[in-house]
Amino acid sequence: MHTDFIGFSLIKMYSRSVISTLVIVLIALFSSYQSVAQDAAAGGGDAAKGKELFSTLCQQCHAVTDEKVIGPGLKGITKRRDTAWLLKWVKNPQAVISSGDAYATALYAKFQPLVMQSFPDLSDDDIKNILAHIDASAAPAPAAGPATGGAVAATATPASESPSGLFTAVLVALLVVMLLVLGVLLVLVTILSKAVGPTTGEGGQATPFLQRLKTSLGAAASNSTLRSIVLWLFVFVVTKQTFDGLYSVGVSQGYAPKQPIAFSHKLHAGQYQVNCNYCHTSVYKGKIATIPSANICMNCHGEIKRESPEIQKIYKAIETDTPIEWVRVHNLPDLAYFNHAQHTNVGQVQCQTCHGEIEKMEVVEQRSSLTMGWCIDCHRKTEVATKDNAYYDKLVALHKKGSKEPLRVANIGGLECSKCHY
Amino acid sequence: MKFTRFNRSLLVMAAAMLTITACKRGHDNPGKTYAPNMYEPVGYEPYKQEEGFKTPYTEKGTRGTALWLPVKGTVSRRNYNTKFSDSSARDLMIYNIPADSIEIAERTLVNPIPLNEKTLAEGKEYYSRFCQHCHGETGKGDGLVAAQYKGVPNYSSMSGMKEGHIFHVITNGRNRMWPHGSQITPEDRWKIVHYVQKLQNGG
Repeated sequence: MHTDFIGFSLIKMYSRSVISTLVIVLIALFSSYQSVAQDAAAGGGDAAKGKELFSTLCQQCHAVTDEKVIGPGLKGITKRRDTAWLLKWVKNPQAVISSGDAYATALYAKFQPLVMQSFPDLSDDDIKNILAHIDASAAPAPAAGPATGGAVAATATPASESPSGLFTAVLVALLVVMLLVLGVLLVLVTILSKAVGPTTGEGGQATPFLQRLKTSLGAAASNSTLRSIVLWLFVFVVTKQTFDGLYSVGVSQGYAPKQPIAFSHKLHAGQYQVNCNYCHTSVYKGKIATIPSANICMNCHGEIKRESPEIQKIYKAIETDTPIEWVRVHNLPDLAYFNHAQHTNVGQVQCQTCHGEIEKMEVVEQRSSLTMGWCIDCHRKTEVATKDNAYYDKLVALHKKGSKEPLRVANIGGLECSKCHY
Repeated sequence: MKFTRFNRSLLVMAAAMLTITACKRGHDNPGKTYAPNMYEPVGYEPYKQEEGFKTPYTEKGTRGTALWLPVKGTVSRRNYNTKFSDSSARDLMIYNIPADSIEIAERTLVNPIPLNEKTLAEGKEYYSRFCQHCHGETGKGDGLVAAQYKGVPNYSSMSGMKEGHIFHVITNGRNRMWPHGSQITPEDRWKIVHYVQKLQNGG
């Protein structure tokens, strides 16, 4: 027993050490390979230092990809030009052009009248570091980030992640399973009735299963209790449906119309975290939140994704001076007054409180019912943001005398008819 | 005879129940409204687009909008704020400097908003709403959109930049940046200028 135990632990130890050495060797190999790959072209520059320099000095005009920003894209620059030429160029581009260098003159002809700024203060090592950074960025990253391109982002959107989607999926799966079980049971019953039938059936004649099912169903139909149950069920369902139908008059919850341009809030507000206020400019200042005019789209799409057919629609609207006909999703009846500025500034209500998880919506949908009951409910529950607001100090003091509850919107007139209806 | 008729009516009822409960309003359908004349606004709503609206767009577009462009050169009354400055002429000047004359803006414009903790905090808030997705939280040009947009500069290379310059760039754009004057009021722009200067000069 004892020796066995030792033997076992020895084997265990041995295998563990083998695995760990293997792992270490692999890691060492991989990292040396990576550093070799990074240092190869730039003669041993430090990519990390280069990244810092690149972001301060170069990023404004150059991309590390092959895209043209203001100057040309720098991907593979160390393969196009040798380091000595690049050192000369970065320190004083104008001098290289004046010297009649063929490549430089061609470059100047392509980008004139723009000439690259000269960087005489950069040391040779600095420039080599920057070049190392460019090469390192060009090499395919071992683990690509969540979003490496607009196209990836646009396609990588799973159809449905919402709990309701999951719920339906589970429901459908359950139904399928139940149907399967039912089928198996039916098969079993027919086989069993065939096997047992002749011995128990009267007159030695086996009645087919379907025949017997029919007769028993007929018997059920003539059963008065069953009849009344079905009748009452019918009356109940019809009544419920009628009331539900009546209550949904004027309520557009779930309304998600197709828009003229397939703008995705999920992409803009969710993935890229562009603030709501960036496009809905007057949400903190006015009654309505405003729908962005095309010039705000152009702030980014003057440069990004210009070829997309959806973006082309914006260009067309601008060229023909035609307004884009967005379909309004959230409609309040004219008889009710609502003001965005009031709710977002003083009330400090988040957009999502009324509009739902807008940053996850591919197509905007009306999530809240927007009924009067819904408004009133919130006014009853919500505490007034009285902190750091001197306007409320006396009101709060007065309220505390008569009540132990915190000051809610209902206490300051949030339930008055004339606040919204006039 | 009676039996079969009852059976048939049972079937009909079941079918009716199924149909009623299966019906669901489509995503494109806003549903019915009661008394639409109380629902639809009588006056012009800002985004109302309707057949037959007589507007400058009517000839070009299919439908006119209630939203019109202001007359060229219009100064919003609300933005014509002389309270925060000693000179109304200077306040008006921001509307009169042409987009390509950044040197004039640099030379003449002075931030009328006093620099203090409150205005700096407000500037930070506006920066986070209007600038951060490109310029990044600390102004390094590493915002989430910048990775797509390319060419967003790092503020650390811009210390000592004139306030008039920054204001002019926000208003009219520069290089790859497009004008943001339509989105931000001049007062808020000046607050952003305070915060941007703070970031440029090393936080």
